Amino acid sequence: MSRPAAAFVVFAFLFFIVTAGARLEAQSTWPTSGSYANAATDNSAWILPARSYSGNRYVPSAKLGVAGVASLKKAWSTPIDARGPLEVSPIVWHGTMYVTSSHNDVYALDAKTGAVKWHFHYTPHVIAFSANRGVALADGNVVEATLDGHLIALNATTGKVAWNILAAKDPRNTFFTMQPVPYKGMLLLGASNGDWGGVGYISAFNAATGKRLWDWYTVPGPGEPGHNTWSGDSWKRGGAAIWSGVAIDPATDTLYVDAGNPQPDFLGTVRKGANLYSNSMLALDISGSKPKLKWYHQFIPHDTHDWDPAMPPVLFTGTVDGTPRSLVAAGDKGGNFWVLDAATGALVYHVAVSKQRGQQTQPSRAGDIACPNTNGGVEFNGGSYSPVTNMFYVPSTNQCGIWTSPGTAVYVAGQFYLGGAFPKLYGPSTGMMNAIDIGTGKFAWRKSLAFPQIGGALTLSSGLVFTGGVNGDFTAYDAKTGKVLWHYPFGLTIQAPPCYYELGGKPYVAVGAGPAGVNFADPRFGQGAPTLEGTYAHPVRAVITAFTTP
Amino acid sequence: MYTILALLVLALTPIRDDHGSAVAALADVQNAVGEIVRIEDGNDVGRAAFARAANHARSALDAALAHLDTMLDQRATPRWQPAIEGAKVNLLAAEENLTDAAGEHELDDYEYDVTRALANIALAVGRPAQDGALGGLTGALANTDLAVPAGARRVNGCSAPAQTPAYGVSDGQLIYVALPRSGDAAPIPPNLDIRSIAIRGNDVMLYTAHTAACKVQRTREVAAATVVPALYTAAQAHAGIAIYVHHCLQCHGADLQGTAGPAVAGTEFLKTAKFDGWSLEDMRTTVFTNMPFSDPGSLTPTQYADVMAFLLASSCFPAGSKPFPRADQPSFASLKLAPPGGIVPTNRKTGTCAVK
Repeated sequence: MSRPAAAFVVFAFLFFIVTAGARLEAQSTWPTSGSYANAATDNSAWILPARSYSGNRYVPSAKLGVAGVASLKKAWSTPIDARGPLEVSPIVWHGTMYVTSSHNDVYALDAKTGAVKWHFHYTPHVIAFSANRGVALADGNVVEATLDGHLIALNATTGKVAWNILAAKDPRNTFFTMQPVPYKGMLLLGASNGDWGGVGYISAFNAATGKRLWDWYTVPGPGEPGHNTWSGDSWKRGGAAIWSGVAIDPATDTLYVDAGNPQPDFLGTVRKGANLYSNSMLALDISGSKPKLKWYHQFIPHDTHDWDPAMPPVLFTGTVDGTPRSLVAAGDKGGNFWVLDAATGALVYHVAVSKQRGQQTQPSRAGDIACPNTNGGVEFNGGSYSPVTNMFYVPSTNQCGIWTSPGTAVYVAGQFYLGGAFPKLYGPSTGMMNAIDIGTGKFAWRKSLAFPQIGGALTLSSGLVFTGGVNGDFTAYDAKTGKVLWHYPFGLTIQAPPCYYELGGKPYVAVGAGPAGVNFADPRFGQGAPTLEGTYAHPVRAVITAFTTP
Repeated sequence: MYTILALLVLALTPIRDDHGSAVAALADVQNAVGEIVRIEDGNDVGRAAFARAANHARSALDAALAHLDTMLDQRATPRWQPAIEGAKVNLLAAEENLTDAAGEHELDDYEYDVTRALANIALAVGRPAQDGALGGLTGALANTDLAVPAGARRVNGCSAPAQTPAYGVSDGQLIYVALPRSGDAAPIPPNLDIRSIAIRGNDVMLYTAHTAACKVQRTREVAAATVVPALYTAAQAHAGIAIYVHHCLQCHGADLQGTAGPAVAGTEFLKTAKFDGWSLEDMRTTVFTNMPFSDPGSLTPTQYADVMAFLLASSCFPAGSKPFPRADQPSFASLKLAPPGGIVPTNRKTGTCAVK
């Protein structure tokens, strides 16, 4: 072969490789800004924590309805790492489901069969308790935020680490449980440091590289408005962490996010004042290089019971008194469900969805009784709104606690900064499934349940509401009447929200179930009595399970 | 319009000048000393004049403390914070002694109180040669980036300056001050603690005691106790097994490496304890007052002591003849948790020792 001919062959070969590579690239496309913007209407996927930027787990679907739900059967159930409770909201894209375990193991599963495509194993240092709420898909990577304060991007096809950064500002008292949210080239992530002496913040990272773009603190520093709502220098360990999910209005680049309880949790005397922006919903303009506060609404000023607004905000257009209004909903562990005007933050109304007693008492040396307990009220998976019924569906928990405080608070790096102790459960521990008529702010129906309800709600336009309880019952209700239409007993606790997708023309509803964990252990249920051999009588399991119709 | 608004915002935004605040605080402290000395040197020996001097000195310290509070009220934790905290505590103590002095009836009592106040003030002023909490205001100004005046050129102290005058800073420490050799524009700043001088081209390099900081990477390691005290009895550790299994195992795991909760013994636990600087007191407080998580304070003091013994034994700390106490011990605060040396764990993977 002459030299020019050889060169041509080499060139042709290289050309083939390049074009073949490009073709491969084209086949494995990943969600674009357009996909995220239209997530609410794409039933083949579930690409944001609560389906769409509105934060509303609502699906317009005719494939699974009131008549057909009785035929819903388990399609597959895949065991995953069971070192702690499952709180994951799955991400589904092009037939693959991405989930995490409490200790940051990541799995890519075949959404049709549950087969494991790849598994990333991780052993993070645990500061206090383990939990993780899932991944974000960004630039062909699966990104998770970890218990040891890292942000880790894995190649979504192979599961290999693409990049790994230390994202927590103080890893002694800060970890991550929140699911990162992709938005216009950024990943939004709040830090879980609210009970360990940190100050809350939400950060934006470059979604492709992990480079930090900005941080926005939830406790105003010296010279900032609201700083005078903290006595002395109590603001420095003020808490107000951002734990839960967010809602975004892409039309105005407005981020709706809730800041958690102030610290020390159970001792108010060392932090006199309203303690802004603890226990508040914040509307932030994130169109620029730094967020700007548009408005805030503080639900419980100067909280001394860790009653933070755990429910992620839900943006929706609901009809109030016959008029459609742009609204945003919130729920707190104090047992309140709140509806605000989305443009101004003004209160439209509030509904008590859990038993409330002694809410003005303060934790004392002898102990005071107040309800709900720290793990009561509305929890971190929240609820959803159906425009078909104009109802909001939100599970809640009835518990009371005895709250104690020695009157002092000592900061020890890496330990709880509480100024007291987490309350002792007092009396019964039960749950409610609530349907609230948005038109009137009154209950449309309520179901009293034997166990706490923290699984979050998924609503289908066909008239179904799915939710799970800590006793492992996964239930489908009639959205109009509250009648139980279908249920599946897992025998494991459900602390994760359900998701919905369609594959091959069939509807799938998937949910995680696993160990009770630190917060929701219940003597009536769980993993059985521990034995002297140091093992559980009942095996610890965690599973991701999908249900479908025949 | 926007320009006016921007200017307004700029005018309303406080600009930090910690160097300026420290210098102002130092001047206020010197004024306080001046008030005290002036009455001693004067001719007025009336009681009211002494009381007035003590009150004036206290007012001057009030002004100094306001500057220190401004410096400390920020989100960051500057290198000079311990020194300024130390100065603050000593000035507060001086104020108390001056308050006593102003109320005394006998000159001897007044002198006694004022002598104590002056001793407190001397500690607050500190010494340039002393770094850290005992350095006081002058120690902070001489050793840390507090030496850098607002608007002055601050450069990486581990490399040579491109332009002078410049302050070389690394990790919050002042490494050098570089001044041009000629010209009166850059006088030698006050309050420095210069250990060596070098000529570099047209510049004079004034080095502090911290040049070694550029060569050695500091670590946050807490030194392991050389002698590990025996803190519990073997019988207690044995009794702690059942308590752990019933009340702790669900969250902390059969191997003590954590499930839903964190690791509580062995390599992972001790690594965290070292990193976070935990004392035995911190561990005891967490166990006795915050645990079990779902029912804190629900065990008896004997049960808590037993479970502490079990955890210490599992981390390979040695048993002894003295039981782990049911009540708090002041000495626990000074015992830092670190891997006990010279003991081979029975489980090399977790770094724990089996308890029998």
